[in-house]
Amino acid sequence: MSGPRKAEDRLRRLLVMLPWLMEVGEVPLSEVSERFDMTEAQVQKELELVAMCGLPPFVDEMIDVFVDDGIVFVGIPRLFTRPLRLTAPEGFSLLSSARAAMELPGADPAGPLGRGLAKLAAALGDAGIDTGADDTAGVVIDLARPALTDELAEAATRGAEMTIRYYTPARDEIADRTIVPHHVFADAGNWYVVADDGRSQERRTFRIDRIEELELTGRLVAIEEQLSAPEGFFVDAEVPRAVIRLAPAAQWVVEHYPMDEIRTIEDLHGWVEVRLPVASERWLSRLLIRLGSDVELVEPASARADASLLARRILNLYKT
Amino acid sequence: MVDRVERLTNLLALLLETAEPLSLIQISSELVGQYPDQEQARRAAFERDKAALREIGVPIDTEMVTGGAYAGQTRYRIDRRAYELSDLELDTDEMHALQVAVAAVRTDSTNAQDAIWKLGGMLGDGQLHVSASLPERPELPAIRAAVAARASIEFSYRGELRKLDPWGLLLRGGFWYVIGHDHLRGERRTFRIDRFDGGAAGIIVGEGHTFERPESFDPRSAFPADPKQIGHAPDDGVEALVEVDAVRSSAVERELGSERVVERRPGGAICILVPASNLDAFRSWLFGLLDHAVVLEPPEVRTQIIEWLSDVARERTT
Repeated sequence: MSGPRKAEDRLRRLLVMLPWLMEVGEVPLSEVSERFDMTEAQVQKELELVAMCGLPPFVDEMIDVFVDDGIVFVGIPRLFTRPLRLTAPEGFSLLSSARAAMELPGADPAGPLGRGLAKLAAALGDAGIDTGADDTAGVVIDLARPALTDELAEAATRGAEMTIRYYTPARDEIADRTIVPHHVFADAGNWYVVADDGRSQERRTFRIDRIEELELTGRLVAIEEQLSAPEGFFVDAEVPRAVIRLAPAAQWVVEHYPMDEIRTIEDLHGWVEVRLPVASERWLSRLLIRLGSDVELVEPASARADASLLARRILNLYKT
Repeated sequence: MVDRVERLTNLLALLLETAEPLSLIQISSELVGQYPDQEQARRAAFERDKAALREIGVPIDTEMVTGGAYAGQTRYRIDRRAYELSDLELDTDEMHALQVAVAAVRTDSTNAQDAIWKLGGMLGDGQLHVSASLPERPELPAIRAAVAARASIEFSYRGELRKLDPWGLLLRGGFWYVIGHDHLRGERRTFRIDRFDGGAAGIIVGEGHTFERPESFDPRSAFPADPKQIGHAPDDGVEALVEVDAVRSSAVERELGSERVVERRPGGAICILVPASNLDAFRSWLFGLLDHAVVLEPPEVRTQIIEWLSDVARERTT
């Protein structure tokens, strides 16, 4: 709750706050503060400032607003009764968010979101955005989700416990677990479920496409506090690290996995050296095999033999 | 010295209220004491304010006086109809649905949140059980604008200068793609935006309305859903026959679809057809399955996989 600092940002915020205030007329300061993500002191200061704005012959009277005893009062509105039109970036962002939300489990194209989206698309011409015949403005968001996503999302709304068969690549094993899903989210092309894991007694994040099967146990667990997706990737500081060098063709790795450090290498044009957390030795071996000659291992040196061993094991499959 | 927000608000009010366009001299005499007296400093302060208003989306009209004593002078005003947001006439449940959408879809910018505020909505109510994060790329605004304006873009991609009529943008698999008519190749091509060599600064947007997007164009079907096929036309696709053992077979079948399974073996293993046009993507996918998968056909793909593995096996032991 820091509120805007730059003059442009403060004005931007004021220009959405004023029309809203003029419509409601009288409202507790606390509500304004919460709604527009500013402290009460900031709201009061900004409103006192605009109350002083004015042009001759209406100096100090142009915007009739004052705060008394924690309540904001607004007089007869003359100016700034309507919000400023959407800018192109705002229009695009809102359109994208609404389109992405339409891809989430449970979205109903015929429901309120679908109708709101259609009205929004129709109005974006004002922001200079031609949405075209299909209302997309040429922007399509595809969050294709694995088969079990909808069932997990539905279970999360009820706190329904379930048993899942889950594949863990780090150990290359499939195991049964009992979990209570809380939140389902999409990030960087994959879908995840945040759940309480009965086995480790911890809150864990599972990749949904690695869940082979699920079965509801019938038990319901009380839904506690609001739980949202974790901020970015969740990397444990205790996890061991590896240092590898990547050729340009292998640099998708940088976008796919969390990195501690990325630096260019002077004498190797286009290559970068990265330090990254390693979930398990097996995971690192698998990565080295996928990258082949586009990767150079710096440390740990032991990973070299591990990867070679794994490569030979896979090669054995081809000797039939 | 007045607070800059106060001066900006006054300037905005003046330009909205005026019936006739105003010159800078007139503006500074209306806003008494708010702009510097010295001409150059006044012009500089006004230009900064004008840029600030335009940055937040205020449409300022300028016109040049063409005759008389003031010929050559620039005058300014704001058209109130262009300034004001037209009413979308959203029903309460529609507004609420858009609010939830913005709360559930995280981006790196506050643009969508600002839009919700302008539309009279608010954020952050209700429990969210599903969410998604949309990656923002610095290249996106320029490309989106070019798509909307039907303007060609030029950029460098893997060391080659490309000129593209951008038909549409697609977010798939966590990456943004732009799809359109590629002048260099003379046909439709797909480019991954984060692979543009020069980043946002390297994109040159041309004149608007220089092409038409094909009517039937849909980015979703314009290129293969499977990343293993990107970079190739979907109809010249190479497919590989892969045997997957019982440990991973059900996951692979779910991923690729049952219709691709050509054989079911006793014990749970399957033989399945996998797109392999993009060999890099195919190989990466295959090795993700470790020793649970083996390529049976075609021979040239099988040979390349064996060579790759032999290289890794050899290199690591020396």
